[in-house]
Amino acid sequence: MSMIVLVSGRQVITEPSRAGPPLLHLTGIQKTFANGTVALRGVEFAAYAGQVHGLLGANGAGKSTLIKILCASIQATSGQMVWKGEEVAFRTPLEANRAGISTIHQDIPLVPTLSVLENVFLSKTGGFRHNARDRQVFRDLCDEVGYAVNPDALIQDLSIGARQMVCILQALSFGADLIVMDEPTASLAREERQVVYRTVRHLADSGKGLIFVSHFIDEIVALTDELTVLRDGSTVMHERTADVVEKDIAEAIAGKTVNALEHLRHERGTIRDDIVLDCTNLRSPGKLAPTNLTIRAGEVVGIAGLLGSGRSELMHVIFGADKHAEGEVRLSGKKMPRSTVAAVQSGMALVPEDRNQQAIVPTFEIWRNITLPHLDDTAKGGFLLQRAAEFARADRAIEQLNIKTDSPETFVTELSGGNAQKVTVARWLFGDVKLLLLDEPTAGIDVGAKADILALVRDLARQGMAVVIVSSEFEEILAVSDRVLVMRDGAVVAERPAGETDDHALILLAGANEKSNGHNGAETAGNESKIDA
Amino acid sequence: MLKSDWKRHFDLREAGVYYALILLVIMLGVFTSLSGRPAYLSATNLTNILYQSSMIGMMGVAMTVVLITGNFDLSVGSVAALGAAIVVGLAGPLGFWAAAAIALLACTGVGLLNGSIVQLLGINAFIVTLGTLTAIRGLVLILTNGRSLIVSTPEAKAQMVFFEGGKVPVQMALIVIGLVLVLWFATAFWRARRAGTEMPFSTIGGIIGGMLIVAIALLAGPELTVAKPVIYTGIYTLIVWAVLTFTTTGRRIYAVGGNPIASRLSGINVAGYKMAGFMLSSATAGFAGIMFGSRLGAVNPTALGGAELTVIAAAILGGTSLFGGAGSVIKTLVGALLLFTLTNGFNILNLGANYQGVIEGTVVVTAAAIYTVGGQRRKKAAG
Repeated sequence: MSMIVLVSGRQVITEPSRAGPPLLHLTGIQKTFANGTVALRGVEFAAYAGQVHGLLGANGAGKSTLIKILCASIQATSGQMVWKGEEVAFRTPLEANRAGISTIHQDIPLVPTLSVLENVFLSKTGGFRHNARDRQVFRDLCDEVGYAVNPDALIQDLSIGARQMVCILQALSFGADLIVMDEPTASLAREERQVVYRTVRHLADSGKGLIFVSHFIDEIVALTDELTVLRDGSTVMHERTADVVEKDIAEAIAGKTVNALEHLRHERGTIRDDIVLDCTNLRSPGKLAPTNLTIRAGEVVGIAGLLGSGRSELMHVIFGADKHAEGEVRLSGKKMPRSTVAAVQSGMALVPEDRNQQAIVPTFEIWRNITLPHLDDTAKGGFLLQRAAEFARADRAIEQLNIKTDSPETFVTELSGGNAQKVTVARWLFGDVKLLLLDEPTAGIDVGAKADILALVRDLARQGMAVVIVSSEFEEILAVSDRVLVMRDGAVVAERPAGETDDHALILLAGANEKSNGHNGAETAGNESKIDA
Repeated sequence: MLKSDWKRHFDLREAGVYYALILLVIMLGVFTSLSGRPAYLSATNLTNILYQSSMIGMMGVAMTVVLITGNFDLSVGSVAALGAAIVVGLAGPLGFWAAAAIALLACTGVGLLNGSIVQLLGINAFIVTLGTLTAIRGLVLILTNGRSLIVSTPEAKAQMVFFEGGKVPVQMALIVIGLVLVLWFATAFWRARRAGTEMPFSTIGGIIGGMLIVAIALLAGPELTVAKPVIYTGIYTLIVWAVLTFTTTGRRIYAVGGNPIASRLSGINVAGYKMAGFMLSSATAGFAGIMFGSRLGAVNPTALGGAELTVIAAAILGGTSLFGGAGSVIKTLVGALLLFTLTNGFNILNLGANYQGVIEGTVVVTAAAIYTVGGQRRKKAAG
């Protein structure tokens, strides 16, 4: 069942070599925010040189807070931090950096208009903008990592995976001894992940300490030497990876037995006769090849495809958000103009891929975000706002989707990823939605929130909604869909009933093999990767 | 029971502009009475400040709407001058009302042009309106042939005086408004009390505000009068505030500025709202220009040069975000009052115009600093 791509080198570390004291040792770390939120309630954590340490936890468990404390962008309320045998309290990220802790954040803070070389040496002081020595150092770094990238390429022209690698190079250029990676693989395609895995193992073997944060349990199991699980701000598990199995880890994260997604399969077969969506010759120059698609009420169609396969483009074209699209979209028989205003009014709903950029209004609280798409329904005469009606909707959403918050007046930007994602889904629950388009609704969120959202999808289908769901997690698609479309290079390349295929077949169809190792130098790294399905 | 977040309404970031105005008025009141100059806190002087700030205040309200939608309008000063030039030039031959209608139409057209270029071609609003700022000023120079215009017939002049001049007694109106506020919020108060629900802070604020208005009206006496532009600005602000606060249109205006992509994918006509913002701004500038032209019955082709900066300063003082999605027209109005209170205070204290620029600039930057630093602290607290 595991889809992880194993990287060689793992076998070498079956017996973790704990040479000497830990590089970093945290005891009793607590953090209480000014608004009274307790994020950490006493975390115990130790990282050793030459080891990869996995850090797991549900959304809101305190992972992000712990990382912010490690890189000193916030300070712990209490607790002890020992770095290389000395008690320390870094006040600024720069101090932590100088001491040898580099953090690679999830959102990749590089300057897109500068070159790779310039980004890697961004914080270098003095000297000219370009010099030969930098290039030599850069080449050495690339050799050290076993990854090659053109130093003169602009960051904005690189794929997300390549940018992630540049971040790693940048961290190494500081001479870091401990590298903290916050969900480095969350937004990467499969082949891009392998490059990151390989690099991580390579760095560990050369004596660096690494902290690897991830939501993917299989990834953690395959890659790390030790792992720590946080739940509700405390350490609930700290084991050698070899000593635990995936089920135990999942239980530690969720705090209860997770019954995978198997049960969803039994809820298929809610398909009705009436056609909700009918697309003919739908296309967009350079993004989407001509596509025909018919979806009935109560049907869940999964779209399996890698990043850049045209899956998001298809969603946007259906929704009328792509100005250059051509072809015909009919919703319940009615021809749709190319306009998101018309799409929403006729009963389409889109949960876009990028929550923060495309779905959430950061200046709005939960309640104002939830009522935004179908605002007219809550207003008197479709014009005069009625707070009470809006709050009633927000309260219902919070209860129904189990959104963890004190009040509907919390800003969505203050919620954890999974809860914010639930808000973006909740925005569409109370209007007259016939077709729900979900673009990666479960990316980067924890197991519990994932299960909640997928169960909701099946529930909505039973009520007669047509659903299209895009996901990089093919298991999820198989669990929740009635039918699966596979996309590659902007075209639908295969269609399968969900009951008659498996994730291995989908991976092959989606092109993981043909397109693998797309990065410069990835092939040169030697250790061949293989799929372990 | 009062809602637990009532303290928030009093922090520097939320209410700073009110504190600044109150502090300034008290300081000026004390200084003038100590130094034996003409009384600062007289009804005449205060209504005078209202009159002076009404035009900038009105444009500031519209500017706030543009800023909330995430855009920027530098052209308002030139557009107001265009409105003034058209109304003064055409009032003689066509009569004042027809001339005013044409001026308003022409100015709205400039807004449509601004909005179309920004939204349909996707050029930055700063650049586009910097262009129209210059081009429209040039148009005014062409229309006036570079000379001052004076309204040509006495009938038209009389109509202008009727529109802009004269004072309106407001004591009774204020008492009525105050009583309505008190009654309205008192009902809300009792209802919430009976139902046992939390009441927002605005209930208490509304009752106290209403009482204050009645008290001021009674203290000032029946000779309390204000100029017509003050009434126009008051009514205009009230309408814009009500639309922003109580209607779906207002909510969408904030959403469009807060996150245009999310708004578009939520089925909101983003380009439409943003273009409407520009049209509102230019139309309002046109109205302000008509008031300006009517005030003197004449217009100088360089009139209102730089007015856009005062307008934007008022909006910033009122805490409007330049990044869109946040702002309050009432606070912008208070911001305009603050700026003109400063000017007025300098004149009364006879401090000389040379110092004004320095102080005004300092006040604007200080205000922006308070809003920004306050905002960061809030974000940090949220983790």
